[in-house]
Amino acid sequence: MPDTHFYRYDDYDKTLVAERVDQFRDQVRRRIAGELTEEQFKPLRLTNGLYLQLHAYMLRIAIPYGTLASHQLRKLAEISRKYDRGYGHFTTRQNLQLNWIKLEDAPDALAALAEVDMHAMQTSGNCIRNVTADHFAGAAIDEIEDPRIWCEIVRQWSTLHPEFSFLPRKFKIAITGSPNDRAAVRVHDIGLRLWQNEQGEVGFEVIVGGGLGRTPMIGKTLREFLPRDELLAYLEATLRVYNRYGRRDNLYKARIKILVHEIGAEKMREEVEAEYASMRDSALRLPAETIEAIARQFAPPVLAEQPAISGKVEALRLEDRDFALWLKSNVAPHRVQGYAIVTASLKPAGSPPGDASAAQMEGVADIADAYSQGEIRVSHEQNLIFPHVAIEDLPVVWLALGRLGFAEANVGKITDIIACPGLDYCALANARSIPVAQRISTHFAGLAQQHDIGDLKIKISGCINACGHHHVGHIGILGVDKNGVELYQLSLGGDVDFGKTAIGTILGPAVTADKVVEAVDALVATYLDTRSAGERFVDTYRRIGAKPFKERVYAAV
Amino acid sequence: MAKNLSGELQVASANRLVDGMVVWLDDAGQWTDRLERAAIARDPRGSEILLERARAESFTVVDPFLVAVSEDDAGVIEPLSLREKIRASGLTFDAIAAEAVRYA
Repeated sequence: MPDTHFYRYDDYDKTLVAERVDQFRDQVRRRIAGELTEEQFKPLRLTNGLYLQLHAYMLRIAIPYGTLASHQLRKLAEISRKYDRGYGHFTTRQNLQLNWIKLEDAPDALAALAEVDMHAMQTSGNCIRNVTADHFAGAAIDEIEDPRIWCEIVRQWSTLHPEFSFLPRKFKIAITGSPNDRAAVRVHDIGLRLWQNEQGEVGFEVIVGGGLGRTPMIGKTLREFLPRDELLAYLEATLRVYNRYGRRDNLYKARIKILVHEIGAEKMREEVEAEYASMRDSALRLPAETIEAIARQFAPPVLAEQPAISGKVEALRLEDRDFALWLKSNVAPHRVQGYAIVTASLKPAGSPPGDASAAQMEGVADIADAYSQGEIRVSHEQNLIFPHVAIEDLPVVWLALGRLGFAEANVGKITDIIACPGLDYCALANARSIPVAQRISTHFAGLAQQHDIGDLKIKISGCINACGHHHVGHIGILGVDKNGVELYQLSLGGDVDFGKTAIGTILGPAVTADKVVEAVDALVATYLDTRSAGERFVDTYRRIGAKPFKERVYAAV
Repeated sequence: MAKNLSGELQVASANRLVDGMVVWLDDAGQWTDRLERAAIARDPRGSEILLERARAESFTVVDPFLVAVSEDDAGVIEPLSLREKIRASGLTFDAIAAEAVRYA
């Protein structure tokens, strides 16, 4: 295996994952032989990330903190080609879903994953799910500390944690190490934000009780500043309080956000602090050497500083408008001079957001090997990231991505749409999401137009479970079923930017599927007619309110 | 062409255990991946019997259930709900092919 700049499995991890594969192989054999009923088997397959969806089984593969090495992405491509239909769907939880896995092949697929230190455990069920992180981690210019060190520590603590394997409901943790939150930490069950206090110490702001779904909530800060070595003890205390008081009588009220809402943040803090007081100096208080050992595995690649400006890049910028736009939207500053972070857009016009073929995955892996230290990240916005690209290499990376169809200069723009799989795949969905996203991205495909519109996040969910994060879209679109007809409810003003996190407000009556594009067009036209200089769509909405948008939409549809 | 949209017509469906594929119960009590071969229950009592038969034959499938369908004069049946239409006919868009490097 090539060198990586993130955690590699030790013997304990390898044994644990291998044993799980063997156990699941036997469970599948017994199910097919009729020795286990579906009722007995279902929790076993879900624990291994295997769902039964509309048309087939779906395998949700954990990509810890969204970080992949090139050989892992190649393995995902190989698995998708060998055991699925040759493509996969990158999700808003930084995972990969394969939509056509056969039950009889699932153990082999998991064994193949284990070859590259991956698995599908805890991607389902009422446990602590795959921990997500800033997709620019380890490269971002604004980063205080790499959050993946802490994601890995949480991963090791939470994997098959006996006390937290049967929580009242699923539990999602996100960590950011930057003041510019790219991990949506305020809308997770627990969000952790690393920051530096006036004494120069780095610790966590602990945010609890956020979430989307049926009842969207913005998390409350339980601790302004938690010393880093106290993280696991504080998390354990919080989970214990949730496990004790979280509601198990009502599925819709079982998430920690409901508990925090019902008892209030102050009472929640008291309970957690009381629990914490009894365990703060327990074995969960991490020794410095343990933290350092994990941190060493995330040691950044050695990148020699280079000139910040490349003549080659500047020449192409002037020569090629698409490249110039791509530099503006898909390239972010790196903490090492002469390097950049590149986002490969998995949202070419008219495509299903977040989908990639096996050939595309292999192409991305090749680019990572050649130009990004063999590393790839998955963003919760369903794109792929090359975290360490020399500025000098940007033209060749752009051309290579263009050959894959992933060079669309649309990151953060109106066609960079988040969408869940929706009713085309999902057993829970009420309406389709992907075809709606395809129509919108086709309608707004022109790059000049997109860049004129500026930053605008559209997020689409096919049901109230909100896998497409519609509550926090500048324009949120929620598919609903009314008497067998798909209707789409629009909301405006959602946001996950730190300090501005907001849940969108429903605009008015839902519109029919064939009117969604017209409705979005009317929203955009209202913004373009009324924006002030430098205002994004969501800024204009905040300034002028919903009324002008509403009037124009309902006149149009 | 007239269609019976009453909702009284039902077929039994499930997902095949080994691969999850959508199947329907035929008149011979076999699970088939062809909707046109599905056994049709034409009244409430017939639906009850069909579901019982489906459950009795569920060794190779997961969670049988009834699906309301329409039937035209030529005997062509189609699920009434969008969800079941999608289960019967597949994705409503073209998924990218394994070797495709661009979405077409």
